[in-house]
Amino acid sequence: MVTFEDVGKRFGDRSVLAGVSGQLRPGVVLVVTGPNGAGKSTLLNILSGLIRASRGVVSYRDGRGELPRERWFSVLGVAAPDMAVYEELSAMENLRLFTRLRGLRRSDTSLAALLQELGLAPREHHRPVATYSSGQKQRVKLAQALVHTPPVLLLDEPSSNLDAAGHELVASLLAQRRPTTAIAVATNDPREMAWGDEEIALAR
Amino acid sequence: MTRWKTVLVWLLGVWMAVVCWAAFFYAPTARGFKGESARIVFFHVPQAWVAVVAFCVNLVASIRYLRGRDPLDDIRAASAAGLGLLFSVLATISGSLFAKIMWGSFWNWDPREISIAILLLVYAAYFALRQAVPDDERRGTLAAAYAVLAFVTMPFLVFVVPRIYWSLHPDTIINTSGRIDMESRMLQVLLGSVAGFTGLFAWLYSLSVRLARARLRRRQQEGG
Amino acid sequence: MLGEALAVLAKELRSELRSRVALNAILLFALTTLVAVAYQIGPYRIHEEDRPHLLAALLWIILFFAATSGLARVFVKEEDAHTAKTLRLAARPGAVFAGKFAFNVVLLGTLELVVVPLFCVLLGYRVAGLLGLVLLLAAGTVALAAVATMVAAIISRASGSGTLFAVLTVPLALPLLVMLIQGTRAAAGSAELAAVLPALRGIVSLAGVTLVSSVFLFPVVWHD
Repeated sequence: MVTFEDVGKRFGDRSVLAGVSGQLRPGVVLVVTGPNGAGKSTLLNILSGLIRASRGVVSYRDGRGELPRERWFSVLGVAAPDMAVYEELSAMENLRLFTRLRGLRRSDTSLAALLQELGLAPREHHRPVATYSSGQKQRVKLAQALVHTPPVLLLDEPSSNLDAAGHELVASLLAQRRPTTAIAVATNDPREMAWGDEEIALAR
Repeated sequence: MTRWKTVLVWLLGVWMAVVCWAAFFYAPTARGFKGESARIVFFHVPQAWVAVVAFCVNLVASIRYLRGRDPLDDIRAASAAGLGLLFSVLATISGSLFAKIMWGSFWNWDPREISIAILLLVYAAYFALRQAVPDDERRGTLAAAYAVLAFVTMPFLVFVVPRIYWSLHPDTIINTSGRIDMESRMLQVLLGSVAGFTGLFAWLYSLSVRLARARLRRRQQEGG
Repeated sequence: MLGEALAVLAKELRSELRSRVALNAILLFALTTLVAVAYQIGPYRIHEEDRPHLLAALLWIILFFAATSGLARVFVKEEDAHTAKTLRLAARPGAVFAGKFAFNVVLLGTLELVVVPLFCVLLGYRVAGLLGLVLLLAAGTVALAAVATMVAAIISRASGSGTLFAVLTVPLALPLLVMLIQGTRAAAGSAELAAVLPALRGIVSLAGVTLVSSVFLFPVVWHD
């Protein structure tokens, strides 16, 4: 579970996010909405611990108590437009890399199953990601976020670059993981907004 | 400024005036040097000393910044580095004037000349890095990390390299035997000048920190 | 941690084998300068007494500047390709640094393997203490890779990183370069291992100090 209270961020003289509070917990999808530049991505970056808030606190707790900041990344799955996977590697090699980096071991069959769940046919798994379409890249990105079955998911525009079928796919993936996973989605897409049980609307 | 500080600044002014006078009229002419050229030591050594002190102040502020991310520490680090740059330029100039008189050329690639040149390069690189980072917090972090990295590699230059090979530099102050060989009146003036220059550094440093701090505050107020 | 660091190294090697950007840049630079130098100087143009000084310096100038053209890529490419954030979230900083450092060691090692024998052949450089030279190259590779990897991490987070890398690396690497040139000269002149020992000691401790401070500095820079 992730709690954040009165979180704000300024870059130099400019305030990009002012005083936001909320909570992420399993069973609930939180959508963060707002016009461009309202600080949706900044909020997700603060929640992930990638950037430090100028004010306010974020805390992670699991069943046993509060998680120290350096353990946050291990419970997080993140996908965002400014995050890419390695283009010179194939989808399969990317997933192998990201599991090994997290100190996990997963069989190739289970990795292939995940890629297939995201709509990538087996013959695509071993081509370099550089040769993929932007929609296929987005699917690998999502696979990267899900590969370690994280209890917390932070998704920034998860179905960008995806077709209608891809959009449906993401919706069903989230529905499947919702009961056990705390999910936050930052979006401007009305279809994605519809997934939310709770909403934080940021103003510029 | 408090009255106490005003008094200190006046004292500093008087002290420096006395040091300047003593450097030319109290200290005897050094033997083994051309004419009165050795008198430059009373200015050159303190300048080099302050450049090193500034480097250390910068290091301490940088480490504190990395620990606490207090913007004030970043201001302190940058102010110290600015003065360090100034004094290493001064030390380089006074040193090469002396070199011209004694050894006939402004620059001889003497080990200690290389050391100060590299100190200059480090300071220049430090400011080049600061200029290339728009975000305040990240600028502070990266600059501080570079300062620490520079500090740990510097001793190799200042101490390891010059001893490996031969130096033109007068050995009276920094030498391998660790003793100071100097006439006592000269030593008095030199120490007085080092103290004066250190005071001068402290004063300029506090001015520079106050200025940067005022700028920061105004920017924060304007930002709302 | 070791497994994760190896995963980073394996990824770097695989990417590099497929794109060869860094290797091509470094080798092309090195070979171009080497050929230009060799063409102008050849085995006979330099006086016998000047050879030890000049050839040792030339060798390291070629190696060092070729290295600076490619070593920054380990971090710069992650920022350019937007994979830095993905990597940051997935791997612990220690593993990232260790893997990237190891990759730079491999890159530099490859460069030396190609350039040093060619240099010896084209310029008629005879090295009496081969073992000394090999040890020196090994220690120098580790030290240079450590400095370069750390600076690469710093500059990848600033703008205009291409020029900044050289500006920031040169002052930090100069002491190292001086020691390497001195050591190489000693190795070329004497078969005794003792001849390179002073330089070797300095280089090894510089590498150690840089690596130890990177353990503390890298996480700060990587997650500022």
